[in-house]
Amino acid sequence: MSIRMDQIQPIIDREYDYMMSEHPHWSLTKGDQDLELVAHALRVLLHMKTTPQHLSEYLALVDCQHPDGGWGKMSSDKQSAAWVTAFCALMLIRGNLSLKHPRITDSVRKTVRYFLDTQKEDGKWSDPSWADLDAVSHPISFFDVLMGIGGHVVDAPTMDKVKAGWRKGMRFMLERQAEDGGWYDPEFHPTGVEITAHLIQDSIVADIVLGNELNVATCCRKGVRKLLSVQAPDGSWDGENVDHTMDCTRSIMLVCTVLEMRPECDRAIERGLEWILKHKCERGWPDFPGMETNLERTCDGLDTLLKYKAYSQPVMTAIVKLWGYTA
Amino acid sequence: MIFVAKAGEIPSGERKLVKANGLDVAVFHIGEHFYAINNECPHRQGPLIRGTIVRDETPDVCEVRCPMHGWKFDLATGDSHGRPSNATVYAVVQQGEELYIEI
Repeated sequence: MSIRMDQIQPIIDREYDYMMSEHPHWSLTKGDQDLELVAHALRVLLHMKTTPQHLSEYLALVDCQHPDGGWGKMSSDKQSAAWVTAFCALMLIRGNLSLKHPRITDSVRKTVRYFLDTQKEDGKWSDPSWADLDAVSHPISFFDVLMGIGGHVVDAPTMDKVKAGWRKGMRFMLERQAEDGGWYDPEFHPTGVEITAHLIQDSIVADIVLGNELNVATCCRKGVRKLLSVQAPDGSWDGENVDHTMDCTRSIMLVCTVLEMRPECDRAIERGLEWILKHKCERGWPDFPGMETNLERTCDGLDTLLKYKAYSQPVMTAIVKLWGYTA
Repeated sequence: MIFVAKAGEIPSGERKLVKANGLDVAVFHIGEHFYAINNECPHRQGPLIRGTIVRDETPDVCEVRCPMHGWKFDLATGDSHGRPSNATVYAVVQQGEELYIEI
């Protein structure tokens, strides 16, 4: 790899300081917040390993959970939505690995119930803000992590229900992969780039859990190759979309590691990262090159660099841990 | 009213981002019409100025698709076709050669 950690680490340190200086704009301890932004920030705390210093942030997220176990787009919203609920619950279950707080355990348990209660017969979840593939992939990701590190959270009969729901959801996703290896939604994801990046990282766990039952290794390998085939010569994806370039770069790191495809993917990851670094603002990252910095994108940028740091380590579990699939 | 540009500075098929009163407004010139829409997608704040123009099958209906997660808005009304929120649109007024938006 030609990007050296001594180049990356100072950027991580500086951007983390910047994110923390923006604390009033993402912290629930300061008032009503957009919970997707909150979850993005909590993920950075997890990967910076500073979670134990921020228990109050995680408890504030527990405090705005709805009685049905879900969360809404804003912390003050009264209606639960699948996508953001999964993101919040993922941060709580992962954060509780170090926090070990009973209120967080209870909160995760309530979310399990929420997802078991709201899954449709065909295996999907619905969220009017997102495509069905988005709305199913995030709860599946939560179930991935629950099965990986949350055995103590629910009892055995509930875990059996989780496994059954997970299998149905996984099947829903995998059956919708296009012949060319991508996933698409004509309304939300016509280019298929972002959703393909999400689905391969959420599906790869099935390769470990189910062996080859759903042919998932082949699906993910095809998905990676689809993404490689649509990377622009400058290293970006999806029309210089910073968010989607970060998604692709991160997701390929995980999947190519698990599927032992690194020699095929190393250069694409590096080019993606080089492009991301080239287009950062003085502080943080924008949605597109030349735009103003965006706090959520800044969290994504930090997450990408932290994942690259893990990817650069010789042990495979270093990168897998950053998705919460293993403790 | 906020001055946008001289009409000739935004040829048909082009677009311009206007900053006014703390708002970012994306102005599009499509065919013979100018449209102005709040630049922040109400879904995840994606920049509509970078969106794709979609011609609906209905004559004269013109839409912009957000580049982040695909939400689509009627440029004349801001309607999002059943998504949880619509976009805010503004009237574009032409006075001689000059274009203004009503905010």
